[in-house]
Amino acid sequence: MDDRSKPVPIGSMVPLTGPSAADGAEFRNGMILACEELNARGGLFGRPFQPIFADTCRQTAKEVVTAARWLIEKHQVHAIINGYNIGAQNSEYEPIADAGIIYVHANTLLQHHDTVMSDPQRYFGCFMADPAEYWYGPGFIKFLSWLRDTGQWIPKSDRIAIISGSTPYSIVIANAMANSATSFGWKVCFGPKIVQTPTSQWRDVIEEVRATDPAVLANTHFYAGDLAYFQRQFVENPIDCLVYLQYGAVHRTFTDIAQEASVGVIVSSIVGLLRDEMGKRFEERYTARFGSGSTASIGCQSYSNMHHYAVAAAMAGGSGAPGNFEQNRKVAFALRGMIYRTVHGTIRYHPDWQAVVPYPVVTRDPSLGMPHIFYQIQDLKERLSMIAPEPYNTERFVYPPWMSKGAPRRL
Amino acid sequence: MRDTSDRRSVDDEKLDAIWAGLDATDDGIFVWSAERALVFINEGFRRNWDLPVRIGMDYEEYASLIAHSQEWMIPGEPDERFQNTLNDFGVATDADYECASGHIVHVRQRPSAPGGMVVTFTDVTAIKRNERELREAKEAAEAMDEAKSRFLRAANHDLRQPLASLKILIYSCVREQDDEKRAEMLHAMGVATSIMEDLLGALLQIGQLDAGRVQPRITSFQLSELFERLHIQFNHQASEKGLRLRFVAPSKTVATDRALLERILSNFVGNAIRFTELGGVLVGCRKEGHGLRIDVLDTGRGIRQEDFGRIFEEFYRVTDNNQIQKKGLGLGLNIAKRLADLLELPIGLRSEVGRGSTFSVWVPLGNIWHSDISAEVDISETVAGEFAGIPMLLIEDDDFLRESMTQLLRRWGIDVHAAANEDEALELVEDGAVAPRMIIADYNLEVRTGPDVIAAIRARTGEDTPAIIVTADAEPRVIAGIRDAGIPVLIKPVSPPRLRVMMHNLLFEPDLLKSADI
Repeated sequence: MDDRSKPVPIGSMVPLTGPSAADGAEFRNGMILACEELNARGGLFGRPFQPIFADTCRQTAKEVVTAARWLIEKHQVHAIINGYNIGAQNSEYEPIADAGIIYVHANTLLQHHDTVMSDPQRYFGCFMADPAEYWYGPGFIKFLSWLRDTGQWIPKSDRIAIISGSTPYSIVIANAMANSATSFGWKVCFGPKIVQTPTSQWRDVIEEVRATDPAVLANTHFYAGDLAYFQRQFVENPIDCLVYLQYGAVHRTFTDIAQEASVGVIVSSIVGLLRDEMGKRFEERYTARFGSGSTASIGCQSYSNMHHYAVAAAMAGGSGAPGNFEQNRKVAFALRGMIYRTVHGTIRYHPDWQAVVPYPVVTRDPSLGMPHIFYQIQDLKERLSMIAPEPYNTERFVYPPWMSKGAPRRL
Repeated sequence: MRDTSDRRSVDDEKLDAIWAGLDATDDGIFVWSAERALVFINEGFRRNWDLPVRIGMDYEEYASLIAHSQEWMIPGEPDERFQNTLNDFGVATDADYECASGHIVHVRQRPSAPGGMVVTFTDVTAIKRNERELREAKEAAEAMDEAKSRFLRAANHDLRQPLASLKILIYSCVREQDDEKRAEMLHAMGVATSIMEDLLGALLQIGQLDAGRVQPRITSFQLSELFERLHIQFNHQASEKGLRLRFVAPSKTVATDRALLERILSNFVGNAIRFTELGGVLVGCRKEGHGLRIDVLDTGRGIRQEDFGRIFEEFYRVTDNNQIQKKGLGLGLNIAKRLADLLELPIGLRSEVGRGSTFSVWVPLGNIWHSDISAEVDISETVAGEFAGIPMLLIEDDDFLRESMTQLLRRWGIDVHAAANEDEALELVEDGAVAPRMIIADYNLEVRTGPDVIAAIRARTGEDTPAIIVTADAEPRVIAGIRDAGIPVLIKPVSPPRLRVMMHNLLFEPDLLKSADI
């Protein structure tokens, strides 16, 4: 085959089996749709993109590193682009840095900042296309304060209870929440208490929380199933407080298990499909391609990362195979410099972190950051209500059914 | 043109030379006879002054010409000028007049022996301009000098607050036995020092206020942090006087210049403490329109109505104060007022003599989404990682490895305590000085093995602290021996991701350790 029409191999490390297989399937869909769209427009200077998928199963360090090596050594991929893999703790950066290729992921890990900044020359190609998990903490505290300050919710006190799962992701978010709370007029009355996860047994910790009588209860564990059990056990004898559950509660699995108990729950995501014209058109294309059971709001992550990479490679004059450091540095330069508005907001890499900057918790300009979106489950039959932040929100917060509306508090 | 008719009788060459000399000078010269007729006009006048005069001109006509001239700006009404000029004939006078052309002329009039007079016209424009420039330069220098003096007085005034706190804290800290209280005091000292630093910066700005060079930086922020800083700054002073100092932290976002607002409130609170002998000071907020009114209430002596207007003046002090030397220089409220004016924030005062005062400043509400997060600038694992602040004991006898491992762990936010051998390690945990939540030990430690040292530490602390052994000895028998002791092991060179996962599992998910697949 003529080199000028030879496909550009793009690797994608996705959990096609194991506990995150549902997300993995969507990440795979997103890559497929992006490559199909790009190839229909002529690919990269006439060369079609060819996605190659490696299953990362339970996403352990060994599995993810093995997947990276397989893609680099066997398939000579020019880039690895995917959604998230939890548990690898950046160990996959080493074979990728050795090969000098581009790596774009949505691992949502603060340690990405430290790894990249520890040796920017070595990790020049490693990009995190979503904000670090840390930002969930202050973002949530700001959201609560916004509800309070705008009078949408009148908290009965300034007390927050925080439960964390035992993964690094949950612990970092819980700590970040606790650290930011005081600055915004909140007091942490419970936790962060680390609960061994996965688990479906939450009654004991809920009772411990009840004793502290909080106005808000946040659980930073993120497995959809575990959270569904948490919520079911919570509503058996609810506490008069807001309930926030970490990312996993956006999944259909959560509402499927929690059913009516899920109504009123608040959940957030720092990567979420927007409901503007751009987002709606993408959702239509995605559903048309993969069926009504598919979830565009998850597939959009790898989809956007692939499109962004393709534009950067075109700007750089082409992609680079393993070992072609010079060309891949040009691609990395283009990725870093380009502000790319996609279906879930803006990808703009921080020049030092090489990670996306969140809006509004870091940047105040929605055109320069990826929105941290807050949803509320208001109607089981409808999609999640997007209640913050402006200008993306489409619905307003409503009091959860288990809560009483307190008398207005004086300042 | 010279009229020489009066000089025809004088043919002396010497006299001609005198006339020529008088013509050559740039000063204008008139000579008036005792009959009040103009008998001499030199060429210098005609060259430099545009006034239609002629030889033989009557003085009354001249006075009228001067009085109605549009070229010479002489004070007073024309009739008055005319009369004054007439009256001044033969009188010695000196006056400066400005011409329409911008020149300044010095007119000197002197009586002459026969009852006439001589008048000279000198262009003093350059001299006057120099004089004015010198005067302005002098005034500017004096203003700068005054600004400097004011700055120094303000520095003295404002730095006294945290300095006083520092002195009290140092005094108390020296005697304090309780480690926790000492740590608290050291923290407060750190805050006081940073406040002094901020103050110097702010005072430099105050100095610039005079020059109109302070540019407020409006941001949205939570008042609670600002209140906390003020509380730390003033708490010790209030306690020293036996006063209650209470801040009711608001849960609202405001939009103004954070540092300048802190200066305003700091002056209010400082003043309140200074002028209150019994009771306390309360700082709180009340929603008012689209903003918050921040009130600083005290139970002090109060202020008389007639002093309300002047209390914000620079260096103003209430006159019945019999302890002036201890009560500051009266700059604080002036600074607060000037800053509030700059920020366009209304300030208010309510007071009753003998019952106390309330100083207030109104600030507009801000957008919570835009409010600053203090940690955002240098967010890293050091401050927010999962291991942040966890105390750990590292035992490694190789200096280079100990140093590099310490650096790696510190980058992850771990509170590393490093030891080269068993004795140093035991010394660290002696009396609970360090209460490690984890131990990492090298296997080959001079005379002892890592597992022996771990056992010794556990025995000393009475805690079954989680531990990891790192070893360069990959001998299967050695590895098996360590694992049999129930301690997980990593082979050197240690992979940071593997170490991280193992540490996480030991600390947070011990069940995973058995099936760890790293």
